[in-house]
Amino acid sequence: MDSSRILDISDVTLRFGGVTALEEVSFSVKSKELFAIIGPNGAGKTSIFNCINGVYKPQNGSILFDGEELIGERPVTVARKGVGRTFQNLGLFMNLNLIDNLLLGRHLQMKTGFFSGALWWGRAKNEEIKNRQKIETIIDLLELQPYRYQPVGLLPYGIQKRVELGRALSMEPRILLLDEPVAGMNLEETEDMARYILEINNELGVSILLVEHDMAMVMDIADCVMALDFGQKIATGSPKEVQSDQRVIAAYLGEAS
Amino acid sequence: MANPSKELKVRYQQDLMIWRTPLLRAGLLTLLFLYILSPVIWESFVVTKFLDDIGLTMTTLNYAGVFAVGAIGLNLLTGYTGQVSLGHSVFVGAGAYFAAYAGSTWDLPFIVWLPGSLLVGFLIGFIVGPLALRLRGNYLVVVTLGLVFLGDHIFRNWKSVTGGSTGVSVTGASLKIGPIDFRNFEVFGHEFEKSQSFFWLIWGFVALVALLVKNIVRTRPGRALQAVRDRDIAAEIIGVDLLHYKTMAFAISSSIAALAGALFGVLQSFISPIDFGLLVAIQYIAIIILGGMGTIHGSIIGALVLGSLPRLVENISRDYDLPGVSGDQGGIGGILSISSLNHIIYGILIAAFLLLEPRGIAGIWMRIKTYFKTWPFSY
Repeated sequence: MDSSRILDISDVTLRFGGVTALEEVSFSVKSKELFAIIGPNGAGKTSIFNCINGVYKPQNGSILFDGEELIGERPVTVARKGVGRTFQNLGLFMNLNLIDNLLLGRHLQMKTGFFSGALWWGRAKNEEIKNRQKIETIIDLLELQPYRYQPVGLLPYGIQKRVELGRALSMEPRILLLDEPVAGMNLEETEDMARYILEINNELGVSILLVEHDMAMVMDIADCVMALDFGQKIATGSPKEVQSDQRVIAAYLGEAS
Repeated sequence: MANPSKELKVRYQQDLMIWRTPLLRAGLLTLLFLYILSPVIWESFVVTKFLDDIGLTMTTLNYAGVFAVGAIGLNLLTGYTGQVSLGHSVFVGAGAYFAAYAGSTWDLPFIVWLPGSLLVGFLIGFIVGPLALRLRGNYLVVVTLGLVFLGDHIFRNWKSVTGGSTGVSVTGASLKIGPIDFRNFEVFGHEFEKSQSFFWLIWGFVALVALLVKNIVRTRPGRALQAVRDRDIAAEIIGVDLLHYKTMAFAISSSIAALAGALFGVLQSFISPIDFGLLVAIQYIAIIILGGMGTIHGSIIGALVLGSLPRLVENISRDYDLPGVSGDQGGIGGILSISSLNHIIYGILIAAFLLLEPRGIAGIWMRIKTYFKTWPFSY
């Protein structure tokens, strides 16, 4: 097995009753690579994420993360192995503030239980302070300084997307699954987000698996692109190759008769 | 802000303090002062004597304290973890009956039967908790409702322990910690009444439970509970174990409820299944809705308001002869009894708060605070 591959997905098939959401999908993400998945609505992009995370259990195939099988594992175990994720329609804890959301990203890095938490003095307090320092570096990186104490539910949408990226990042993941990080954003916000994603990828060395509809951005930042349609892989390659692939164009624009 | 530099936080530790500002610290001192002094001056000092006269006696405050303990427990489960439970009164009952049995029949000392009550509550919650993994929202409410009837059945029929429908006395349970006996409380030869010493006992527990639960909710386990409430699937994906946290929320909440039950038992001296029925469960829900879901101080404020309201209503309707309300002397053809008037006011309060101020009294307080913080601007 190629040791530079961090995520190796082969022949994954996922069915819901008679509907086949994914059919023998195979691809692999190299370490420190920015891999993008594109495809029309309902192509099965988010389903791949849910399979990796352990939310769905595919009927067939294997998902190897650093050589370890992920299929059949619980979401908590997958998180513990170093898989971070953001959601298409925001998975934030809306009543909590930015600090609490980011600290929740560090849930697995922290150890305080109910008992030591209730006592506060000693372990719990030290851990709070230590992890607060860690998340401050993420607040700096993503330029979230003005929003620390507001419940994230009250923040603008573009900022919320950034908070969620920060929460996934504070897990110290080895791979980040980003589900449409710039959906519904304007050009300026999209550029900001693309910059953050590149920074995380290049400077922190985190591998990224990206699902996105914004073609301009995908083509700009991705190292490798895979196109899906109706649960089947129709093309893989560099952004340029995929862009000019006849089947990809047909999937997006419809077949010329 | 006369001295802005004092407002500047330079260490994370300052950001983590509960009593963050001088004003809050002054408030803490005042509360401490009131805690120590109240029982001594209650019936003599002008202000408190007035409160005493309109029905807010020491005993009323003691009952409110018991409700506050139970409400903090329920708030941990419902307000913080988002698991609505109508079965809280069963957990309270379990603690109370354990206190009666272990304190009287087994004759265990205070420092043994009280933790025993906590443990019994913890175990019951631990068994019920996993149900919440499969059931959400309304379904969980219905199952916990079933718990009330199950509890009621056990309380009425396990006669050797609970005394059946007639109930059981809790006066045998010892309240001695070392040289201090809360039933015959003495300081420097001065003997205090039961209601006075119970005030110190019960409100001491309110403070202790409030502090411990506050610590839980501001550290890792509490954040995990709130994550489960806000978005359970996202919580799972960042590594929050739903089974563990839902189970622990039930277990801890119910062990606090059992503590409230034990205190209720020794305070009322006699307990029967009526004390732990559906009405009591709804009363606990009402307290946290009125006080504020997801806040500790809200639970205490809610318990104080709803604990003293029935006494106030009773007093007013007795003194002023409200039209349509029969007095306690048998009434002069009123259409309502005082207790049904109380229930109606409860109902109206729950409905009004849910509609107009879902964050409860704590939410109102928050808005007043924000107003003055941002004054003279309105945003």
